[in-house]
Amino acid sequence: MAPVKAPAGHFSILYFAAASTYTTKTNEHLPAPLEARDLFSKLEDRYPGIKDKVLSSCAITVNLAYIDLDGDDAPDLGLVIKEGDEVAIIPPVSSG
Amino acid sequence: MAYETVIRTLRQKITSCESQLQDLRRHLAEAEYQNQRQRALSHPERNVHSSADPLAHDFTHGMHDDFTSEIFAALSHSEEAAPPKRRWPLETTEYKRYGRQLIMPEIGLQGQLRLKKASVLIVGVGGLGCPAAAYLVGAGVGTVGLVDGDTVEESNLHRQILHSTAKVNMTKVDSAIVSLHSLNPHVNLVPHYGRLTPETAISTLQHYDLVLDCTDTPASRYLISDTCVLLGKPLVSASALRTDGQLMVLNNPPLPPGNAAGGPCYRCVFPKPPPPESVVSCGDGGILGPVVGTMGVLQALEALKVLTKEPSTSVTRSASPDPPSLLIFSAYSSPMFRTIRLRTRKPKCAACSAHATVTAEALNSGSLDYVQFCGTINPVDALGPNERISVDNYAKIRLDVNPFTGLEPSKDSHILVDVREKVQFDLCSLEGSVNVPFSTVSSTSSKVKNGPGTEPITEAGWVAELRQHVDKPIFVVCRMGNDSQVTVKKLKELGLDNGGQRWIGDIRGGLRAWRNNVDKDFPEY
Repeated sequence: MAPVKAPAGHFSILYFAAASTYTTKTNEHLPAPLEARDLFSKLEDRYPGIKDKVLSSCAITVNLAYIDLDGDDAPDLGLVIKEGDEVAIIPPVSSG
Repeated sequence: MAYETVIRTLRQKITSCESQLQDLRRHLAEAEYQNQRQRALSHPERNVHSSADPLAHDFTHGMHDDFTSEIFAALSHSEEAAPPKRRWPLETTEYKRYGRQLIMPEIGLQGQLRLKKASVLIVGVGGLGCPAAAYLVGAGVGTVGLVDGDTVEESNLHRQILHSTAKVNMTKVDSAIVSLHSLNPHVNLVPHYGRLTPETAISTLQHYDLVLDCTDTPASRYLISDTCVLLGKPLVSASALRTDGQLMVLNNPPLPPGNAAGGPCYRCVFPKPPPPESVVSCGDGGILGPVVGTMGVLQALEALKVLTKEPSTSVTRSASPDPPSLLIFSAYSSPMFRTIRLRTRKPKCAACSAHATVTAEALNSGSLDYVQFCGTINPVDALGPNERISVDNYAKIRLDVNPFTGLEPSKDSHILVDVREKVQFDLCSLEGSVNVPFSTVSSTSSKVKNGPGTEPITEAGWVAELRQHVDKPIFVVCRMGNDSQVTVKKLKELGLDNGGQRWIGDIRGGLRAWRNNVDKDFPEY
């Protein structure tokens, strides 16, 4: 299931592991632009409870690069997710 | 039953004898080899003067004495200057054994010698640790340590490739050592029985050059990462669940905490542990053998890269290892692999930054509680005794004549709701049970009906279904007896108990208890 390219005015978001289980999706498209600081609340609106249960411990990436949203003064809160960007929600997998 | 015990005991004995035999063979091989080498060293001339050698004949019979002595003087001089040295840096058998990787420029003689000198600790000898250990031992890493506190179970065998049917109940460490010895007797294997704890972490890890995290809990991942930062060891960390895997080379280069040029640690990437109720084990979530195998093999690969890397010198090149990355494997996606560029060390990291709070003292004293940091889940205890029934009593309802009414037992007298996911329900289920997967139960809101100002939403089909037959009590069952309790609460919130007129309760201990107490043939999976 290769993610389809985002339509105009949207970015792609990929859900891995527990994020995929929670949303029951592997990917979808959301309206762009979006400031990174608003990403979690946007997802919380769509999937109530996801922020505490999944997102708080996830690694977040934009175009295959890690972004740091941890804490009120995190360096990437002001980053703008643009049309066509690929965001990924990567929960830690701990089993093995 | 008696036969089962006998068979099991015999199997254990055979395995242990096999292991002893293998050890003896190895000792014998080593002794024979040492013996041979000693002989070669104590009579080095013997080879030179072998009578079949025409040159030796010339030396003794056909040359001027002074010329002969001159050559001998030259030869003996060079021999005295250096201590007796082996002719080739590797043993003859090693050239043969490692030949296919020796001829690769990425390894070569120097790489092989680095591997031989190296020691690697593998923490966890399961789905990741087995393949990782097999490849590292196969490649000729000098010393490999193995940490695990578990014994081999039948449900491990589909993916933990060093263990085998005959070794069920053996410790994983012993089982792995038997397999790895027979794979490559030249490697020094070090057993570490038991789980790694904060108190044992430093003393266990400190003698090794590189660590592989092949464990299966968030707590052990933070513990191992913190210890590697404190001891300055690079760490190859991998994990896998269901169809997904992750791989990172951490703390590489392993510079002291506070040095921003060092590689990020596990806390830099995942500063907060996942909420404990979201942590799924392979036993609960499932795991595909080749998925976890892929991750373990990749761990071995990254370990080989780190170990055989040419040490950078200030003249030849700058110390720039591969930039840190997180490899995501997703077996049913396309592409299957994604490489995420990671940042350098996090400026406020609790372990590897200048503001680190994780110290060796704190670790050794046991004041760092990793289990508490990652949280624990208590077994669900949500219901009162009158909302629960034991498997034995439920069996009476299903199988016995009712002592009060004299009615024949009937599966139609009640509704049995099985809340395991459909794929599990399809494996085996009690006759007459209705499947309502727990994920469906959880995602059904119990509040939608009275939401003010919102359109009334049609009730979920399964709720409407259960709302019929108001006279029939509802029994809820699951695999272990946790989800069933949560479901009972939910059903009551949805008003299915008719204000207390209809009995709704769970079957204590779930289908596991049913198998243990009532039906031995009900499959265990």
